[in-house]
Amino acid sequence: MRKILGYILLMFILVLMPVHAVYAYDTGLITSKDQLKSPGVKIGVGVGSSSMLLVEKEFPNAELVYIELNEALPALAQGKIDAFVYDYRQLQIALATGVEGVKLLDETMDEEVHIAVGLSPATEIDGLKEKIDTFIDVIRADGTLDDMYDRWVIKNDFEIPDFPEIKNPKMKLIVGTSGIATPYSFYQGDELCGYDIELAERFAQYLDADLEFKVYDYGAIINAAASGDVDCIMANLNVTPERAQALPFSQDLYTEKAGIVVRSGVSDSSIGAFFNRVVTSFEKTFIRENRWTLFVRGVITTIIITVSSVILGTVSGFFVYLLCRKGNKVANSITNGAMRLIQGMPVVVLLMILYYIIFAGLHINGIIVSVIGFTLTFAAAVIGLLRIGVGAVDNGQYEAAYSLGYSDHKIFFKIILPQALPHVIGAYKGEIVGLIKATAIVGYIAVQDLTKIGDIIRSRTYDAFFPLIAIAIIYFGLEALLGAVIDKMEINIDFKKKGQSGYLKGVKLNDKN
Amino acid sequence: MIRIENLRKEYPNVVPLKNVNATINDGDVIAVIGPSGTGKSTLIRCINLLEKPTSGKVWLDETEITGPGCKIEEVHKKMGMVFQSFNLFGHMTVVENVMAPTMDLLGKPAQEAYDNAMDRLREVGLSDKALSWPDELSGGQKQRVAIARTLAMNPDIILLDEPTSALDPTMVGEVKSVIKELAESGKTMMIVTHEMSFAKSISNRVFYMDEGEIYEEGTPEEVFDNPKKEKTRRFVRRLKVLEIGINRRDYDYLGTHRLIEDYAQKNQISVALTKKIHRAYEEAVHQSIVCAMEKPDVHLSIEYSQEKDEVEFVADYSGEEMNIFIDGDSISISILRSVVLGEKYIWDDTKERGNRVEFCIK
Repeated sequence: MRKILGYILLMFILVLMPVHAVYAYDTGLITSKDQLKSPGVKIGVGVGSSSMLLVEKEFPNAELVYIELNEALPALAQGKIDAFVYDYRQLQIALATGVEGVKLLDETMDEEVHIAVGLSPATEIDGLKEKIDTFIDVIRADGTLDDMYDRWVIKNDFEIPDFPEIKNPKMKLIVGTSGIATPYSFYQGDELCGYDIELAERFAQYLDADLEFKVYDYGAIINAAASGDVDCIMANLNVTPERAQALPFSQDLYTEKAGIVVRSGVSDSSIGAFFNRVVTSFEKTFIRENRWTLFVRGVITTIIITVSSVILGTVSGFFVYLLCRKGNKVANSITNGAMRLIQGMPVVVLLMILYYIIFAGLHINGIIVSVIGFTLTFAAAVIGLLRIGVGAVDNGQYEAAYSLGYSDHKIFFKIILPQALPHVIGAYKGEIVGLIKATAIVGYIAVQDLTKIGDIIRSRTYDAFFPLIAIAIIYFGLEALLGAVIDKMEINIDFKKKGQSGYLKGVKLNDKN
Repeated sequence: MIRIENLRKEYPNVVPLKNVNATINDGDVIAVIGPSGTGKSTLIRCINLLEKPTSGKVWLDETEITGPGCKIEEVHKKMGMVFQSFNLFGHMTVVENVMAPTMDLLGKPAQEAYDNAMDRLREVGLSDKALSWPDELSGGQKQRVAIARTLAMNPDIILLDEPTSALDPTMVGEVKSVIKELAESGKTMMIVTHEMSFAKSISNRVFYMDEGEIYEEGTPEEVFDNPKKEKTRRFVRRLKVLEIGINRRDYDYLGTHRLIEDYAQKNQISVALTKKIHRAYEEAVHQSIVCAMEKPDVHLSIEYSQEKDEVEFVADYSGEEMNIFIDGDSISISILRSVVLGEKYIWDDTKERGNRVEFCIK
């Protein structure tokens, strides 16, 4: 326990040091758009967004850096990029939360960005494009659209109206959104809200549809729509020619200026200010809007994925090993091929292939797909471990048991396996720890695990410090917890620690008479 | 009890068993001897079906165990096996090693299995090690536990595959005495061994294996004392006579001493006499012949006779006529004379090694 606390303390110190150092560091500041035209300037833009095209057009000499808003502001403050071009309103809100070291330029980009609803070409809803265009016409005509824009975007009144439950839904509407774009699509506590969320609710009312949200990274959201995983995207989605090739868009909802943020060079590097910053950051990360409940939800998701994958992976790995054990050529070559395939690609690629290609049409929950993916990788690891463990048991053990009259089945379970497991239990523990860490990528397939929750919170607080530290500590805790469970198992598996192997249970050791 | 017909075992590169025919009767104690690589272990492993014979049949009582549909587990319950490498189950204590098969395979209740196991351990003198782990035992103790484990199953026949070969010389005795007791109790046994005096003392039949078959078989007296066939004779003689060839000046001098030591130990020659053999070899062969010649070519034969408790020492060597007792180094010869009796020198120029020295050591 003391050891773990020591690690946590060390991590704190390591993380605090650069934060402190960077805030005190300043060089040549940018004050006008013209300065960004010189070659070698690094400008951050969102992946595939319109701002990227605008920057390419206006600052052809700039070096583009692909980065999301919540990462961009700290990166800017720390001098990793020189400017960041993004949706003006979102930048305004972000800066209003008190992000230090950055400022918004008065000038904006020349062109405006068009925002629309992205539509899945593979949707099961007939005539979705006509429906949504008509719907937009209707609400634009009665002033609802302007009212929504006014409330969410201009006044920042983050109150979502109540909508009646739909009694007999005619269809199901699945909306993809980002959850990390205030004021359009973001989390308040653990509730999704924002302009796009209200729009989705209204559209569902209009259609008499049962509404479901799925939350994606901007990098994955277009894929999700293209594969038919969602019916449409409402996530302050910029219309770009490239995106328009992959999927149709509705008519424009509104147009928005693209703002430019640069380093301000104004920062207070005194210890007091630093301490204040830590306190506000903590408050923002955990207390405000009960955000700690998000962490709890993320931890539960991570545990569900890890534990189910460990259990299912162990069971199925063991089962497959049994099938292959006697050297059946067909079973072995299938297993070896599958193992090479699974272990040969990054898990994130495996997950995306499962989610966006193999199970694309089935509308399977991302958690289930994650469990399937990690079960496959863990089963492959278990098979490998069993092969090593059984290989480490001397063949003489088999021969002795065989010549005593044990059947093949009994030899394996009573003689070989109990001696093989102690060889690999340590490595098995390592695999589990590796699995916990590997689950951090499930955000790619719309699962809100611990890491994804960290992203969501950072998108609200524009502060990397506490979410990341909290996540690291929680992962440590989970590893310690699962490690302790395995240690318990280890005592049962290590025959010497256990004492006897059970044949002596209930026997009177009366050898003296 | 066991009948072996035309048994043949082939591996990709060798054929250790060409054609083996034999019958093992109830109560037989059979010693299988022969040079290494002649299929002794393969034979015993084929009988136990650890190796699948290429062709041929093995019968246990009325069952053909090499036939299809034979319940191998049932056969194994009647046929115990003791391995060179013990193969105790590492994850069980000693007493569990002995109990487990009777519980798992014969369905004995734990208490009965335990009592039976303790009786068997007492028979091999290891009841006080019941709760030790196999890796805490010496090699000899492990092998005794392995024998107890086999006995606990109460098999009709016990096969022993070189049970003492993996043991330290100091531990061979304890295992041999356990096996000897077993043989005297009337158990049917078949043992592959390199310990000839042991084989002779426990068996009622001996198989001498060579050329992939049972080359000669008979009672221990027949095979060891009056072998009928040439190869058997040579093999048996090699057990009794130590023959050493030396054809270089820088030969393995220490290795030769070691061979003498081994021979003395195998034949239970007394320490005093062993010392004298070393002395005689050193002075007569090393000093007087090998060191005196440019290109030595010496053949040495040492034969111990148990009845007379004396050693016959003969050295043939090439070169000009040279009687070491006359022409040899005078100091060496005087030392040599103090340990040997009946010295004799013969010159025969028709032979390649024309010189011959003979003497006796007591």
